[in-house]
Amino acid sequence: MKLMVRNAGKRFGERTILKNVDLMVEAHEFVCILGHSGCGKSTLLNMIAGYLLPDEGELLVDGELIRGPSKARGMVFQDHALFPWYTVLENISFGPEVQGAGKTEAKEVGRQFLRLVGLEKYADQYPAELSGGMRQRVGIARALASSPDILLMDEPFGALDILTRDMMRRELRRICEKLKPTTLFVTHSISEAIYLADRVVVMKNGVIADEFKVDIPHPRTFDMPGFGEAMQRIEHVLMENELEEAIQ
Amino acid sequence: MSETSGSFTAEGAHVGKLGAHKTARKARVTTGSGFMKTSNFIPYLTFFILWEVFSQMNMKLALFNPLFLPPPSLVIVDAWALAQNGLLFDSLLSSTLRIAAGFVIGCVLAVFMGVLMSKFRQVERWMSPLLNLVGPIPALALLPLIIIWFGIGEFPKVLLIAWTTFLPVLVYTVDGFKTVPSTLIRSAMSLGASERQIFRRVLLPSAIPTFIVGARVSLGLSFSALIVSEMMGAKSGLGYIIVDARNYFKISNMFVAIIFIGLIYSIFSALLKLLENKVLSWRKGGMNEAVEK
Repeated sequence: MKLMVRNAGKRFGERTILKNVDLMVEAHEFVCILGHSGCGKSTLLNMIAGYLLPDEGELLVDGELIRGPSKARGMVFQDHALFPWYTVLENISFGPEVQGAGKTEAKEVGRQFLRLVGLEKYADQYPAELSGGMRQRVGIARALASSPDILLMDEPFGALDILTRDMMRRELRRICEKLKPTTLFVTHSISEAIYLADRVVVMKNGVIADEFKVDIPHPRTFDMPGFGEAMQRIEHVLMENELEEAIQ
Repeated sequence: MSETSGSFTAEGAHVGKLGAHKTARKARVTTGSGFMKTSNFIPYLTFFILWEVFSQMNMKLALFNPLFLPPPSLVIVDAWALAQNGLLFDSLLSSTLRIAAGFVIGCVLAVFMGVLMSKFRQVERWMSPLLNLVGPIPALALLPLIIIWFGIGEFPKVLLIAWTTFLPVLVYTVDGFKTVPSTLIRSAMSLGASERQIFRRVLLPSAIPTFIVGARVSLGLSFSALIVSEMMGAKSGLGYIIVDARNYFKISNMFVAIIFIGLIYSIFSALLKLLENKVLSWRKGGMNEAVEK
């Protein structure tokens, strides 16, 4: 699996959301797209998912053009987007089931991923009965259960409280160590990006401003050497224009 | 340090107490609401007792003609008389069958049309203005025309009920399809669902709540269509009993029919509620769950 974004641009009416975006994601890589709200990072992710089409440039997966949503690219949404009329298990089994697996087989796959996120006890509950963190874990399990080539995550922990957020980061890292999925993760939290990613792509005003490789060994903590330094460097990139504008 | 731990235990005990209190309350609420649900008859009883007392009083004092408001006891006697000659049973049966047939046909056609309108933009483009045109016409205005076209058999009655059911259900169903959250459709697509699967597993279930609201609204309207259609050109039915009673000035018979209309409506409404609870068991929240009382 190799994702390639070449010179992609997107406009909504007069407003240019993205321009000249080049991005490459290799197999088993964990890439974070970091930026302020409104910088176009979610638009880029939605284009990769196939929900939006680029106005310029092209998006390729293994050399093939992205023409629409596909089961090869699983999505985890900020608002979790679980089907409220299905139980937790039915939600997770949804992917395998619509892709033609038998009912029992789909349930089995569902159970397996339910175990992965540690929610076996909640198999027969409805999403409305779960806490925010649990819903998001179900969302991750659901996306993984249909075995996508790349996992797209659109600020999945953005709506969670800070403690749950911390726990979910560790949880996601644990899942990544286990399954090594190719992941593209959108966030506006610098520490989250550095904690999770192999590579952080910083976006500003619709263009890619900079890229950082993060070589800190997992499991990462804030006091590890290099963590604070990486945060400072990224913060500098994100803030530099704002500072200039403020001074002027 | 010891102080902190002390306050912690105190807090723990406090929480424990609160928890116990909460469960006790919950148990009481459940039994209470269960009791209320199965036998919340006191308001009904009070209503009929007050009515009886007032009517009896009026018979003695003659505030107005006592024939205008017969007491429930007299209504029961007259209902028994109507039941004796078989008219009441016939009327109940035919009214129930008419409303059931008309309502179900109206709902099915409305959902079918709603699906077409939400799937094909052209259908919506053509249907919406037409529906806006004919939508506001009350059933009563159409009845004479329908009788001239289709006679006075069962078909025109069922047709009128189905028509009155159809429009509101259609409006609500279309609205239900339109307001499906786009992230749900997106996630189904990314999980590999085909268009058909998305329709059956995402669009349909998420339109059901609004569909049921539409069915609820229609139920009241379709009952008025039922009674109106039975008032002209019918040989049985609750509407027929009312017209017949007017002709012979048997006001208590009118009350018999009126009470049974209310009763059948309640039964249909309860059935709809049952369906709603079954289909929407996944739904949580609302005022009852907002705050424990």
